[in-house]
Amino acid sequence: MGKRGFHLETKNLSVKFAVVEKILNLARANSLWPMTFGLACCAIEMMAAAMSRFDLDRFGAALFRPSPRQADLMIVSGTVTRKMAPTFVTLYEQMPSPKWVIAMGNCAISGGPFVFEGQYNVVEGVDLLVPVDVYVPGCPPRPEALLEGILLLEEKITGKRRFPKPEAKW
Amino acid sequence: MVNTIREKIKAKIGDVEVTEVSYTEKGYHLSISAIKRNLLPLVHFFDEHLFYLEDICCVDYVEYLELVYFFNNYQSLCRMKVTLQIEPEHPQAPTISHIYDGAFWYEREIHEFFGVVFENHPNMAYLFLHDGIEFYPLRKKMVLVSDEDKRLLNSFKVEVEEDTFSVNMGPQHPSTHGVLRLVLKMDGEYIESAQPVLGYLHRMHEKMAENRGYLQFLPNPGRMDYLGAMAFNLGYVTTVEKLCGIPVPERAEFVRVIAVELNRISSHLLWIGAFLADLGAFTPFLYVFDDRENILDVLESITGSRLTYCYFRFGGLYNDINESFIEMTKAFLKRMWGRFNIYENLITKNVIFINRTKNIGTIDQDRARKYGISGPVVRSARQPYDIRKVEPYAAYKELDFDIPSGEQGDNFDRYMVRIREMEISLRIIEQAIDKMPEGPFRTEKVPKKLKPPKGDVYHTVETPRGELGVYIVSDESDTPYRMRWRVPSFSNLIIFPHLARGTLMADAVSILGSLDLVIPEIDR
Repeated sequence: MGKRGFHLETKNLSVKFAVVEKILNLARANSLWPMTFGLACCAIEMMAAAMSRFDLDRFGAALFRPSPRQADLMIVSGTVTRKMAPTFVTLYEQMPSPKWVIAMGNCAISGGPFVFEGQYNVVEGVDLLVPVDVYVPGCPPRPEALLEGILLLEEKITGKRRFPKPEAKW
Repeated sequence: MVNTIREKIKAKIGDVEVTEVSYTEKGYHLSISAIKRNLLPLVHFFDEHLFYLEDICCVDYVEYLELVYFFNNYQSLCRMKVTLQIEPEHPQAPTISHIYDGAFWYEREIHEFFGVVFENHPNMAYLFLHDGIEFYPLRKKMVLVSDEDKRLLNSFKVEVEEDTFSVNMGPQHPSTHGVLRLVLKMDGEYIESAQPVLGYLHRMHEKMAENRGYLQFLPNPGRMDYLGAMAFNLGYVTTVEKLCGIPVPERAEFVRVIAVELNRISSHLLWIGAFLADLGAFTPFLYVFDDRENILDVLESITGSRLTYCYFRFGGLYNDINESFIEMTKAFLKRMWGRFNIYENLITKNVIFINRTKNIGTIDQDRARKYGISGPVVRSARQPYDIRKVEPYAAYKELDFDIPSGEQGDNFDRYMVRIREMEISLRIIEQAIDKMPEGPFRTEKVPKKLKPPKGDVYHTVETPRGELGVYIVSDESDTPYRMRWRVPSFSNLIIFPHLARGTLMADAVSILGSLDLVIPEIDR
């Protein structure tokens, strides 16, 4: 082999794999498979995002899987209670790597409106249980907000934004 | 009816204090205070006279606990409030679960939130709360969970028997519509028994209500039932108006009807999509969401939100409607009338759909009464019972509409009742737009901090899922002393173990879907 050939001892090897990883990431970002995991009110907006008008399929991210073992994205759409928490962590652990989490709505981010003195049943933010990649605030967030969250996650995976950022109008 | 019942109670039971109260102020006709000895004869009396169990709740008055039972009649409105005082230390009460099957579940709920032990209750295992709970949440003073009750905290241990096995359905399951868990004991493909486990979305609404003012609680009802948020919002607002005696302008009453009915259609549409998805048909989902988005556009133009509406205020509305809202509603009505044909061809005439729903999950009238079910589920069982007709609120008494009812009470009837209801809702909206009066949309000078007079009030509205009852006890302070929510999904769910017994697993999924459950409403 010439000067540019493969040298198993050199650092070039990892560089070449990095390219493969880049291509894989591009594929992952454009075919996110979310888990069908509706918790509360936000789940309806998640469904609305996947349905007729908002059509999450445009971004390759609407192939909702009923089983966590086939999914790589968990959209936490609603309040996680202390009774649900062990199940919730199990579901996260059952997902194969690489995996991502979107905390959708105020309940998933911080417990939302259900945090008050003397509360006994709500987990105050899912980041206490699992690592969260993207936070989508709102009570509930609009489907557009979830779409933006998915685009942000794509950006996080590939390092590049696929669509231009919409201009702020006000 | 009320007078005859009062006379009969006095003659038959004796030894009970029967007080007649003003129905327009309190929301119930008779207040009966029972003692432990004559509670069971009294409940037997109501059972004989075909009353249904509306609700059981508990109020902690510190010196004593008070159990409150509400009975009502499907045939003619006659609401009875029965109270039973029990001592706060080691509270005990007789169970009525052998008379009314629905009480089995209500009593378990009271047990875990107040620590009341019901004598001879078959199964007092915890239903809602998590394993680590150390106190009874709704008691006014901190009372620690007793050692006996701690053993009941996690009692859903799988029983191993020969020839049967257990299947755990949920809390994460595509066809439970949220985080409901069912423990099914199976004999091959057939279900021997089904046990719901609740509380995976218990968000402490009733506890929250005791922590904040009446106005501050206003966004909560919309989050209890997010599909019928308008109706829950209305139920809360009208109850507080009844409690404080706040008048509502006529225009607001008509706008309320339009908003609630639009919301009812969107809720039923989503139910059709979800129900058909349970049966394995995905296409209707896309159709119903198309229609539903149109309703959301109309409602968003006046409320500003898509899902968890908080549009009504004490004494009126958040803002007035305008011409463009009327235009959009009329455009939607026109569109929707043309859509029923599509649904009929797509779903109603589909032979697979008919075979999956006909003669499955049949509810008979007597069983419906024992569980106290309401809404489209009870209407499917030849019982045209609708709060909008029986106890008209908002502007319903000025509108002309009829109540659909089914033949057998099976899944197919429940589907047909909901389709008919959507048509009726469209007619109601048309009438309300025609009759809409001019005038103010909100009563002026409603104080921000409400301090209602001492007393209690019970008020019901018809939500897309059935009868919602709000029971508020006020102690003259600016926060409610106790707020109890009688939710339709809970009473509709508790009939499921009865319906599922002996059916195929696939049919149980179909039955569960047909009940139209919203889990945050069940768990509260």
